[in-house]
Amino acid sequence: MTVVRDVVTAVLLPAGAVFCLLGALGLHRFPDTVSRLHAAAKAQTLGVLLVLVGAAAQMSPRHAPVLLLVALFQLFTVPITSQIIARTAYRTHGLDRDRLLRDELGDRLARDGTPVDAGDGAGRDDDAER
Amino acid sequence: MTGPTDTPRRGRRALRHLPLVVWLWILWILLWGSTGSTGPVVFAGGLLVAVAVVVSFPLPPLQPGAVPRPLRIGRLLAHLLTDIVGAGATVAWQALRHGRRTSTAIIEVPLRVDTDLLITLVAEVVTINPGTVVTEIDRRRGVLYVHALPIRDERDLARLREEVRAVERRVARAVGHSHGPDDREPAPGAPDGPQEQSREGER
Repeated sequence: MTVVRDVVTAVLLPAGAVFCLLGALGLHRFPDTVSRLHAAAKAQTLGVLLVLVGAAAQMSPRHAPVLLLVALFQLFTVPITSQIIARTAYRTHGLDRDRLLRDELGDRLARDGTPVDAGDGAGRDDDAER
Repeated sequence: MTGPTDTPRRGRRALRHLPLVVWLWILWILLWGSTGSTGPVVFAGGLLVAVAVVVSFPLPPLQPGAVPRPLRIGRLLAHLLTDIVGAGATVAWQALRHGRRTSTAIIEVPLRVDTDLLITLVAEVVTINPGTVVTEIDRRRGVLYVHALPIRDERDLARLREEVRAVERRVARAVGHSHGPDDREPAPGAPDGPQEQSREGER
């Protein structure tokens, strides 16, 4: 039984660590804030979940539910934070809009008469830097 | 607001808060993690705290007429878990392979569901799903704006729209109204739906 547990932990913990690493890499490599959120909200979450399950396998059944709670709250809170950050990023030029294949939010805001772009060309400056 | 002190109505309202009290109670017990000699104290204290919290910070009713269906919820969670694994892998691969050159898009998805609870759940699940993050929730129109990657062409856009709709269907089936959202047309330009009014009536 302990062998099974050890194997589970030995597989899941490094796998989780790898996904956390990939999440960090995504943070570094993706071009703008909203794209980076994808790395933080997914690769990272998956990594944390794997680490938690791997750790739970080593714990007494009495303490494992607490780890389950941690996982549950991760799943609930990460999307909410992501949405708030994404919304703010969109409205503060944290999103490189020239790269978007389609921007229906921008279209909608323009139709409502509240376009985000005030014509300061923040996105274009970013491009020039690269 | 509150009608005359008729006890049946009050009893029903108390019952509505019961799941929250039970959840907070379980949470308290789990976090203390001790069922030994201090067990009874933790149990009693947890119940007291749970009731006190619910009484002092009353929440508006989430969704009158929500019908949780355990089997469907199970299916939703199973989908969610596989999606998380898929999402993690997809995004990680994108980061490795394309990095800066990843192409993205923001699309508009009109929702059929029209309650706070369901829209919140759909937005949560969409954000957990592969390659999609909800950028904006237009509550009044009932529209989600979803930022997605990788998006290369129109086909990807169509597929993405279909995925968000599928998530919506699964969520609606899991905790939706008894009559279901499928018999309603999507109404992106519509003002507050009938749901809003029925919620006002509930209070």
